[in-house]
Amino acid sequence: MKTVVCVKQVLQLGDEVEFSDDGLDVDPDYLDTALNEWDSFATEEALQLKERLGGEVVIVTCGGRGAEAALRRCLAMGADRAIRVEGTGRDPIAVARGLAEVVRGESPDLVLCGVQSSDSVQAATGTALAELLDLPRVAVVAKLDYDEGAGTAVVDRELEGGLLDRVEVDVPAVLTIQTGINQPRYANLRAIKLAEQVEVDVRQAAAGSQPAYRVRRMFVPLKGEGAEMLGRDPAEVARRIAEIVQERLA
Amino acid sequence: MARDPKYDILFEPIKLGPKTMKNRFYQVPHCNGFGSEKPFSQAYFRALKAEGGFGGVATEYCSISPESDDTHRMSARLWDDGDITNLSLMCDMLHERDALAACELWYGGPHAPNMESRDVARGPSQIPSDFEYLTYAIEADKDDIRHLQKLYVDAAKRARSAGFDIVYVYGSHSYLPQQFLTPFYNHRTDEYGGSFENRARFWRETIELVKEAVGDDTAIAVRMSTDMFIGEAGTQLKRDCLPFVELVDDLVDVWDINLSGIAEWGEDATPSRFYPQGRALPWQAAVKAISKKPVLGVGRWTNPDLMVEAINEGKLDIIATCRPSTSDPFLPTKIFEGRLDDIRECIGCNVCISRWEIGGPPLICTQNATAGEEYRRGWHPERFTKAKNADNDVLVVGAGPAGMECAMILGKRGMRRVHLVEAQDDMGGTMRWIPQLPGLGEWSRIVNYRKIQIDKLKNVEFIASTKLSAKDVSEYGAEIVIVATGSYWATDGLNGASHAPIPGADASVAWQATPDQIMGEGKQLAGENIVVFDNDGYYMGVSLAEKLAEEGKKVTLMTALGNIGPYMHFTLEAPNQHRRLHKLGVEIVPYHLPTRVEPGAVIAAHVYDEEGHEKPFAADGVVWVSQRRSNEALFRELKDSIGLEQLKAEGVNALYRVGDCEAPRLTADAIFSAHRLAREIDTADPSIPLPFKRERRLVEASDVARERAEYEASLAGATAV
Repeated sequence: MKTVVCVKQVLQLGDEVEFSDDGLDVDPDYLDTALNEWDSFATEEALQLKERLGGEVVIVTCGGRGAEAALRRCLAMGADRAIRVEGTGRDPIAVARGLAEVVRGESPDLVLCGVQSSDSVQAATGTALAELLDLPRVAVVAKLDYDEGAGTAVVDRELEGGLLDRVEVDVPAVLTIQTGINQPRYANLRAIKLAEQVEVDVRQAAAGSQPAYRVRRMFVPLKGEGAEMLGRDPAEVARRIAEIVQERLA
Repeated sequence: MARDPKYDILFEPIKLGPKTMKNRFYQVPHCNGFGSEKPFSQAYFRALKAEGGFGGVATEYCSISPESDDTHRMSARLWDDGDITNLSLMCDMLHERDALAACELWYGGPHAPNMESRDVARGPSQIPSDFEYLTYAIEADKDDIRHLQKLYVDAAKRARSAGFDIVYVYGSHSYLPQQFLTPFYNHRTDEYGGSFENRARFWRETIELVKEAVGDDTAIAVRMSTDMFIGEAGTQLKRDCLPFVELVDDLVDVWDINLSGIAEWGEDATPSRFYPQGRALPWQAAVKAISKKPVLGVGRWTNPDLMVEAINEGKLDIIATCRPSTSDPFLPTKIFEGRLDDIRECIGCNVCISRWEIGGPPLICTQNATAGEEYRRGWHPERFTKAKNADNDVLVVGAGPAGMECAMILGKRGMRRVHLVEAQDDMGGTMRWIPQLPGLGEWSRIVNYRKIQIDKLKNVEFIASTKLSAKDVSEYGAEIVIVATGSYWATDGLNGASHAPIPGADASVAWQATPDQIMGEGKQLAGENIVVFDNDGYYMGVSLAEKLAEEGKKVTLMTALGNIGPYMHFTLEAPNQHRRLHKLGVEIVPYHLPTRVEPGAVIAAHVYDEEGHEKPFAADGVVWVSQRRSNEALFRELKDSIGLEQLKAEGVNALYRVGDCEAPRLTADAIFSAHRLAREIDTADPSIPLPFKRERRLVEASDVARERAEYEASLAGATAV
């Protein structure tokens, strides 16, 4: 059982934000980094498969050297190997192209991604990867039943309004994993220290990974006018809200 | 982040007579246990608030004469030139930090027990204190009144010499000027008693004399209590205070308006259990409406929006704080810098005040472990040195208040990695449910503040829902392990009165419970009659009694102590808590210790009954608030079963414990112990606190000769008779 998990080192904004001089990006001084939350659930799901069925968990990311921290976090959780594809890690289509070649080379039984990344929130990489690999895919997976040799997996995909859709999918497949599917394990300090020593396998991205979009300007949305404070007495506030709603409905 | 312009008004200067204060943040007089006798502790404590942005900072009440000596409690004193020297240090340090220094001249009258001076105070009438027993004053005649007024004038001059910018003629909390103004204390029939004009005479004349003596270059402040809440006899806003404002407004440079008498001054220093912030605003606004002078007032202010509202609505000019300025001396700076989520908000528990009420010890603060430690331990609440062993990884087990504090401070001290691991699904420990007790909602700030800080620290990671075994801990990979697993309430009635379990006590049965079970696990007791046995002596027993009574139970609150929740007398919560329990029909049974319990009854005996007559108390359910025990199983297993040698072989070089896991204490002390360890994590032996600086007179050789000579001289000519 070999599972490949594609992960991302995401950028996190602090309380304050400044943009770089060219206005195209956030000044890196104001950014923190972390393993994308969804990807920790995907990694945990892969680790649980390995615990049940044996085999290997391979973590792949596309990014610069800094993105290796995300790989090391997954290694500390218990993944076996980590591969970094050199790239910017920004544009989801370019990232999918970078990942596709490496994932194909691993011939995995299953490919897991997070539903989306918390910084760019496009939910595109996993789907694009499936397309490039020519594999079936299911998005927003909230439950996974997989048995070796069955040829298919049964998954619950999450729909709007709390609804679940149970589908059977041929494997190998690309599944994008939703938060809450499991309880990701913590990595203790010993595992973190050991993961720091692991050599990460670095690959060059395939040629032609051109970005599918470009940033023209980054700015803080202007505050609109006309906000009305409704006072502090809860009963009064409730009465005003009811009035406003009725005015608008009329 | 820049300050929100909506807070601009808080940073506008304001003129106080001959002085100008740089902003609207002012620390009103409040005690800290340092007085004039621990001048460095005093100065560094006050100066830190100036450093944190307060535009004006006051002493605590400052005695003007040995005839008003509050020992056993600790006041400042301006009795002689030595006191000038000692308090001038505070003034200098405040001025260096661009703040005004204020001195609250105090004369206690019948409330001053004079236990050190052995002098006797003067007062308007000879009625013993309603705050102390066995304390009387001389009923002042006209000469005594002149004498008293001269004491104020002389002390005001000494205050000016020390460098104070603002001098108070302090008349609230039932002290001398308020005593003259108030029929409750003033039974006189001469021109200093009776009509409003006569009752106001002493205070008016004293303000005039002080103003004349120092008013050309010193601001005159008057602190006035505007309601004692005891009916007609007490100070009344409309009858006494508003006319007094009109009478002396021209003489006064700033009004400090508050509430209460001394016997129930929890109506002024309001516990959060009973009052929200800004509780005195209606009274302060009434004075502001008729005065031409700036009005300042306390209100346990921590919310800048409410501060701005109070000023913009014309109710106050200056935001005065005691407790919030101790909980966070950098309150103004954090508002100025737009760092509202860094404000360490006062929780209104009043353990700070409890130390003054106890008499003697320095103040402590639940939220701010550095309060009172500025000088003697050199702790700064906002600044941290990088630990010398910062290349170590730390595991903190347990994320209650102590574990959170420890992880937070170690994070701020730059330890490489700190893992805070908690068995429950979130941080807080018992402090997750304690704020759900009646009235204690604001205590959740203990957890919230630390959670926000920990979240910001990149080197601190919180791991929830993970119960570590001793083996897990030993193999965790941390060089330093700190166990902060808290404490639990005894399930067998073990208590400090009998030092033994109570026969029949067993919280594992359905009809008996501990606070942990009721609040943490949701255990419900069936039936109508509940006996709460409380030998803890603080808030837990009374709070559970109140909660159960509110749920419709018939509650008996039994204690072997002489009073229920006696520590709540020191936190000023007792009077209103008694009122609540009385209103709810809770039966109070002091001086009783259960001898055994059986289904349906608690059998108890009076602790002073030498024959031990037993009496049954109907009990469908029993709650044991008898004592706590440390949750030390993990620590003992690590230290005794695995052993320090084996831990070392696993790479664990140090094992400590903090908070209730050492010994159950006040939350303030549990947090302090965690903070202390983190501050001293890089000393030779962090488990033993470093000595703190003690302000005491050291005997020098030259003193010995001189003191001996003076003693001999004093006896010269004296003969044995």
